[in-house]
Formats: sequence, C-alpha cells, structure tokens
Amino acid sequence: MSGWDEIAAGIVKAVQLILAGDPMVLQITSLSIAVSGTATLFGALIGIPFGAIVSLKQFRGKSFLVQVVNTLTGLPPVVVGLLLYLLLSSSGPLGFLRLLYTPQAMILAQLLMIVPITASITISSVSSVDPEVRDAVISLGADPVRETLIMLNEARLGLLTSVVVGFGSAISEVGAIMIIGGNLLGYTRALTTAIVLLTNQGEFAEAIALGIILLSLAFLVNVLLTLLKNRFAGTSPYARSILTNTSASPNR
Amino acid sequence: MGLIGGVLIVYSAAPRTRLILATTTSTVDTGLLDYLKPYFDLRFHANLTWLYLGTGQAITVASRGDADILLVHDRVKENAFIQSGNGSHRVTIMYNDFLIVGPATDPAGLANATSAMDAFQKIAVAGDRGQTKFVSRGDGSGTNALELRMWTKAGIAPKGRIWYLDAGSGMAPTLRIANEKGAYTISDRGTWLKLKSEMADSLQLTVLYEGDRDLLNPYGLILLNQTKYPNTNWQLAEDFFLFLISDEGQRLIGDYRVGNQQLFTPLFGIPETIGLPPETGEVQYWVAKLTENHMSPPSWVPASAGGQGVGGA
Repeated sequence: MSGWDEIAAGIVKAVQLILAGDPMVLQITSLSIAVSGTATLFGALIGIPFGAIVSLKQFRGKSFLVQVVNTLTGLPPVVVGLLLYLLLSSSGPLGFLRLLYTPQAMILAQLLMIVPITASITISSVSSVDPEVRDAVISLGADPVRETLIMLNEARLGLLTSVVVGFGSAISEVGAIMIIGGNLLGYTRALTTAIVLLTNQGEFAEAIALGIILLSLAFLVNVLLTLLKNRFAGTSPYARSILTNTSASPNR
Repeated sequence: MGLIGGVLIVYSAAPRTRLILATTTSTVDTGLLDYLKPYFDLRFHANLTWLYLGTGQAITVASRGDADILLVHDRVKENAFIQSGNGSHRVTIMYNDFLIVGPATDPAGLANATSAMDAFQKIAVAGDRGQTKFVSRGDGSGTNALELRMWTKAGIAPKGRIWYLDAGSGMAPTLRIANEKGAYTISDRGTWLKLKSEMADSLQLTVLYEGDRDLLNPYGLILLNQTKYPNTNWQLAEDFFLFLISDEGQRLIGDYRVGNQQLFTPLFGIPETIGLPPETGEVQYWVAKLTENHMSPPSWVPASAGGQGVGGA
C-alpha cells in the first residue's frame, strides 16, 4: 500500500469506526470536545470582556497592549506546553496542585492559547462597529455598561467568530496537550495526540480515520457559524432605530 | 466509556488506581504494553498508563517526580539515576538486541563486517565517499545513546558530517526516514519486526548486521525512591514491579509475538547468562518480596536465591 491507497483505506476505516461506535474512538472524541469546549467557554468569558474594555476605553499604552495581544495569538502551543509543564511538574512551583497529566491541565493550556485569540478578534470587531452608533448611544444618555452591551451587540458577528476560531485552534492543537496531558490512554488521549501516536506507529489508516473525525468536527462548527451569521447579520434593529432618530443632523 | 466517557473524565478527579509508567518508545511501538495492560489491570484492579518518551526524557520526567515507575534501556543513565538517589531498585527484566539495517544494495559492505564497531566504520567510510547516509535517532533515547557509544568506540565523530542525518524522532519514524532515504540506521529488534509486519513490502530496508555482544539491548525496570517522591503512586508501582518479574509476567513477556516472532526474551534474575553484571542482591530482595506477596519467581531463578536475602526485606 502506498499513498492514495492508504488515504482511501483511512476513509473506509473512519466510516467503519464511526458506524461501529467504537468505544475508544467515541471516548477520545468526546474528551477532545469536552476539553476544547470548556477551554473555549472560559476563553470567551475572559477574552471578550477584556477585548471590549481595551477597545472602548482610551488609555496610555493602548496600541502597545493591542500589539501584545495580537502577538500572543501566535503563541506556539509547544511553548505554552513546555512552560506549563515546568510550572505544574511535581518539582515545579505549582506541583502541589497535582494537575500534570490531567484533562484539567489540558484545559488550562488551551485556555492560555484561546484568550489572546478571542481578545484580539473582539478588539478588532468592536473597533470596527460604525462609530455613529456609539455616538448616538452616548448622546441618548446611556450609562457605560449599557453602552458596552450595545457595542458588543453590534459586534456580535465578530464575537461569534472569535469563539469559533478559538475552538478551532484549540481542538486542532497538539503541541501543548501532548506535553501537559501526556497522551495517557483512556484519560488524556485526545484526537490530535492519538493521531501523532498512530502515525509514529505506522498505523496510518487509523490515524487518517481520527483525522477525518477531527475535520468533520471543524466542519460542523463552521456550518453552525455560517447559520448563525445568516441569522444575525447586519445592524441590529435597535441601532437602526437610534441611528434614524439621531441622524437628523448628518455632520455632527 | 463511550460518548460521554470523555466528558466524565474531564470533570472528575484522578483516581488513585492509575499508574503512570515512563517508558521508551520501543515498549509502546512494539505493542508490548498494550498486550501486558489487561493482565496487570485485572490482577491488581489498576489502570496502567504510560508516557511515550525516549529513555533520556523518561528519566528526566521521572526524576522530576512526574511518573510512578520507569522501564527504560540505557544502563549508563539508569545507573546515574540510581546513584543520584532518585531510584531505589533496579533489575534487568528482559532483552532483545539492536540491528543495523540499511538498503539491500549495502553500499557500505556490511555483509563483510567483522564486528559492530567495524560495521560503523564501514558506514563512515562509505558516507565520506558520498555513497551512503546514516539516520540517527538524535533524541537522547537509549538507542541513540548506544549508537553514539558505538561511534566513539569506532573512533568516529559523526556529528556535522554530510552523511549523518539527525532525525530527532522515535524509532519507527526514524526507520521510515531511513527507508525513504535508502540510508542505514540502528534499531531495536522489537520495533523493527513490528514495523516490518505492518509496512510489509513498502519497507525496503533489510537487516545487514546483527549478533555482536555490543548490540545487546537489556531493559531495566526502576522503582522510584519513595522518600524522595512521596506523591508518586509507589504502592501500585511496586505491584507492577512484582508483576513484571513474577513467573506470570516473565512468561507473558516471552510469549509476546508479532507475526510469529518473539520480540523480547525475559531475563529477570539471570542477566549474567548474556554477559551482563549479576544482580544478586536485588534478585534476592525481590524473590523474597514475591514470596511475601504469594507470587512465584520464574522457574529459571534458583530457589535458593530467596532464602538468603530475606533479611534485606
């Protein structure tokens, strides 16, 4: 077998494994979804408010901070993994937490990668909301919290994208969770780390099968994103209404 | 297990029945651990898991207290681990050997090699002439360490030479790289046979030199120092130790076959039969321990071995 044959065999194997409901494959897949899903949830809870504050407030060093956040989006997973390993190792400063080689540590590693991504996309999408909306909201006397919520609502497509991109990079990441999770069978073995192991062992068909499952997950998430985009696209009715109310004087 | 299995794992605490073995790629890639796991898990109500690393990294991870027990194959590093007080007990549990593999055309002429050292010299000579290449693991693994010792013995400094490729990979990937490049490399017999049975005709490398005493590949099982690493799962680690050296464990190791070939030969208690230093004190201690735990040592370990050493336990 070589090349195309192996890829074809992998596709057949993937269908077989999924149809047969192979318990190990299901467990690895659900672990991947649970780890990356949890990391994405917390990543959004931290990254979106952080990004909103940075983009709506004016302060010294703002553009530098934005550049730092943008740089951190390119944080190599393997570096995150190595740093966290040294911190969480039994002989490291956080060793007493006994977190190394657990799914919780994998969540932490992916969270560190996701926060800059979510924050960065939030900053750029909130910044690109039509400035007239913000002016209108302020002129109508909204308090800062209400103003922020309205701005986030206007930027909701970007926020949605930030969550999906965060999840996508988490679930396809291998460098950090390999070091931090240890790829322990039935405990911290995720789709990506299982693919690495199977590839090393020359079990190409199984590796491709898991790869196809991973790809399908990414595809599903993207379909979901497109559906949501179509549903929520454009300026919100509220913003439209305040814009028409306040745009009597066009050149404010 | 199943679809919600993974979700439950994420939101639950780690049970104490999990044993983390830090080990070399060859015990995983050959399928040996997958084969032993159900026997151990059932008998000791445990959950054996392993970290798939090279010997060098496995020893580093264990010395940081991040694993419960070690199964590796680099006597120099193993001894250093024991001497620094990180490990409390070490025995040789099994062995196989290393093979020098390469393209069937054998441009370096290993067919005429008189020893492993000579084989390495022939590869270097052919390499310098631009006729061949050698792929090194380059990952600090036990195989890598043996390879580097062989170059030193042959009086050759291969690093930086045009024919010397440093793969920085595990055994199976290194064999595949050598296969693609038509180069020589050195492999443990277990991984070689496993890959051979999996890749069949697409693996074009053949065994070109074998059988020298220098190419013996003994595996050491090491228990961590319980006082130094109180947080490791030492109770279960000792169970695993006893399981592997017991009659049952040793027999299972010897019975493991891939494509009808035996991959590892059990060696607990008799390292001197292949010319390794005897481990009398350790063997006496462990035979007594086995008896204490109502387990029997393998048939080839002299019954008297336990009688003298009980005091040590």
